[in-house]
Amino acid sequence: MRILKEKGYFLLNNKKIIPVLILIVLTGLPIIQFFGNYNYLIHIVLFSFLYITMSSSWNIIGGYGGFISLGHNVFFGIGAYFSGFIFVRYGISPFITALIAGLVATVFGFGVGLITLRVKGPSYIISSIALLMIFRILFDRWELVGGTHGMTLPHNTFPVEWSKIPHYYALLFLMVFSIYLSWYIRHSKFGLALRSISHDEIKSEVTGINVKIIKVTAYALSAYFIGAAGAIWGDYLTYVRPNIFFIILIAANMVLMCILGGKGTVTGPIIGTIVMIFFNEFILANFGATELNIFFTGLLMIITLMYFPEGIVGSLKKRKLLPGFLDWG
Amino acid sequence: MEFLQVLILGICLGFVYALMVSGLTLIFGVMRIVNLAHPILIICGSFVSYWLFIKIGLDPILSIPIAGLVVAALGVFIYKLIFEKNAAQQTYSEMTVLLTFGTAMVIDGILSFFFHNTQRTTSPSYATDAIFFGDIFIPLAQLYSGLVSSVIIVGLAVFLKYSDFGIAIRATSQNRTSAELVGVNVKFVCLISFGIGCALAGSAGALVSFVFSFFPSRHWEWIAIMMSLVVLGGMGSLTGAVIGALVLSVVSSMVGAFFSPAWSTMVFFLSLFLILIIRPRGLFGIQSD
Repeated sequence: MRILKEKGYFLLNNKKIIPVLILIVLTGLPIIQFFGNYNYLIHIVLFSFLYITMSSSWNIIGGYGGFISLGHNVFFGIGAYFSGFIFVRYGISPFITALIAGLVATVFGFGVGLITLRVKGPSYIISSIALLMIFRILFDRWELVGGTHGMTLPHNTFPVEWSKIPHYYALLFLMVFSIYLSWYIRHSKFGLALRSISHDEIKSEVTGINVKIIKVTAYALSAYFIGAAGAIWGDYLTYVRPNIFFIILIAANMVLMCILGGKGTVTGPIIGTIVMIFFNEFILANFGATELNIFFTGLLMIITLMYFPEGIVGSLKKRKLLPGFLDWG
Repeated sequence: MEFLQVLILGICLGFVYALMVSGLTLIFGVMRIVNLAHPILIICGSFVSYWLFIKIGLDPILSIPIAGLVVAALGVFIYKLIFEKNAAQQTYSEMTVLLTFGTAMVIDGILSFFFHNTQRTTSPSYATDAIFFGDIFIPLAQLYSGLVSSVIIVGLAVFLKYSDFGIAIRATSQNRTSAELVGVNVKFVCLISFGIGCALAGSAGALVSFVFSFFPSRHWEWIAIMMSLVVLGGMGSLTGAVIGALVLSVVSSMVGAFFSPAWSTMVFFLSLFLILIIRPRGLFGIQSD
């Protein structure tokens, strides 16, 4: 019995076994489609992949860097529009162009970062909202990409059980690499510099950190996977419109998932996203109103910020209750 | 001639905008809270006067005090519940902004759930009427709301300038520690000025209910518009807010009239973005740190 208990602790505290097991299960999950139509389950899981990718990426600049951006879905929209446009015009599938869409978002993020990251604190939050609004209007008026109606992308021709599977694997791929990027940055010298910038820019500058380059690079890196995920998501929805991609609620969800799980930790955004998505689906299934979803999202945000600002992972870690397999730094 | 016409309409709207942001700038000045929930509080005020108009036919201009009081009560409740702890330390943190953002989502969710996102306007008899001076016409709704707004703003300015409590508010916003040293009850001042700010939001809401159409989710758009007005003039300065509101309102009306209505809101967002990047404290703003 004691041995079993120790084994159990070993399993929970080993940093590799459980994540690898989870990854294997997730890779094999689409097999259940042979036994019936589990499209809802697949949808929820790939939706979680999408938001884990986005909140992990947001965490790079918002969590480690301390720049709370409420307009980060600008990159989501840019990725979707880039790949969507190429798909509609030249017939090249977003699965091929997604990684290029990420690059476009990164280059773009580099430019935006150079301009906006000069201010900090509440001014930065408001300027990020302004950026989102500017893009919303620009894409609303840009007739080449369809204006307010956006673009309709062709469906794939798979049977209904299998039509979601390409998106499933694409988003799984993006999720794994975005978590890896987040983990890598957390444990690199670059990440250390970034975290020092989030505490005090001037002191960081004095210690020899190139503050400007570091924070702009972090901003650009955080845009990459969001842009790539946007490309896949546009194909999944089969239409790309400003009022789907450029709304502040997506950014609010990203921020909340990250803060709920624990910003500045690697596993925080993952846990936060899973909790939020189950919570949202629970509300939808039981009360059936999206307005209530907004209400509960806001309520959760207030409660988290007031009572445990370090988030789930951060609070557990502080009380030394965090199981080892979640403690990635 | 058309220029003069647009100018006058822009100025009338500008005063309404100024009233909408006066509470925001007051709250920021005293507590350093960037209240993103302010626009939704305005919509609460609009709902109060909408229901008063529909149920008992009360004119929206006359329902200003009621809307103001209701929203002030709501604001004080929110303040007691959420902000009291944060306001006490006057730290200028991102978390407070996110808290107000969460509050905005909560109120938006409640209003949308119960009243749905349909466009509403109150339609008092003068809402569709206009007066003519030669070639220039002025819609009465805009004229009345502009006049009422300017009266309320002047009242607020006089209150801040000459009354004892107003002086206490200004002292707190200039230097909290010194104000506390000379015997100002800073906590009480914060509470009351949050209340006054929300009352201003409510009374602006009553005017908004017949100048614009409103629905709960509209406040997302207004957040950035209102921020642009206060940021141009400088957060925390009432004069700055009024000037910012007038300038941007006129410019956006001009763009709408001579260029294309589709781009008129772009004026707000672009100016907000540029001012925050180039000169975050605005024209007359107080130092942020």
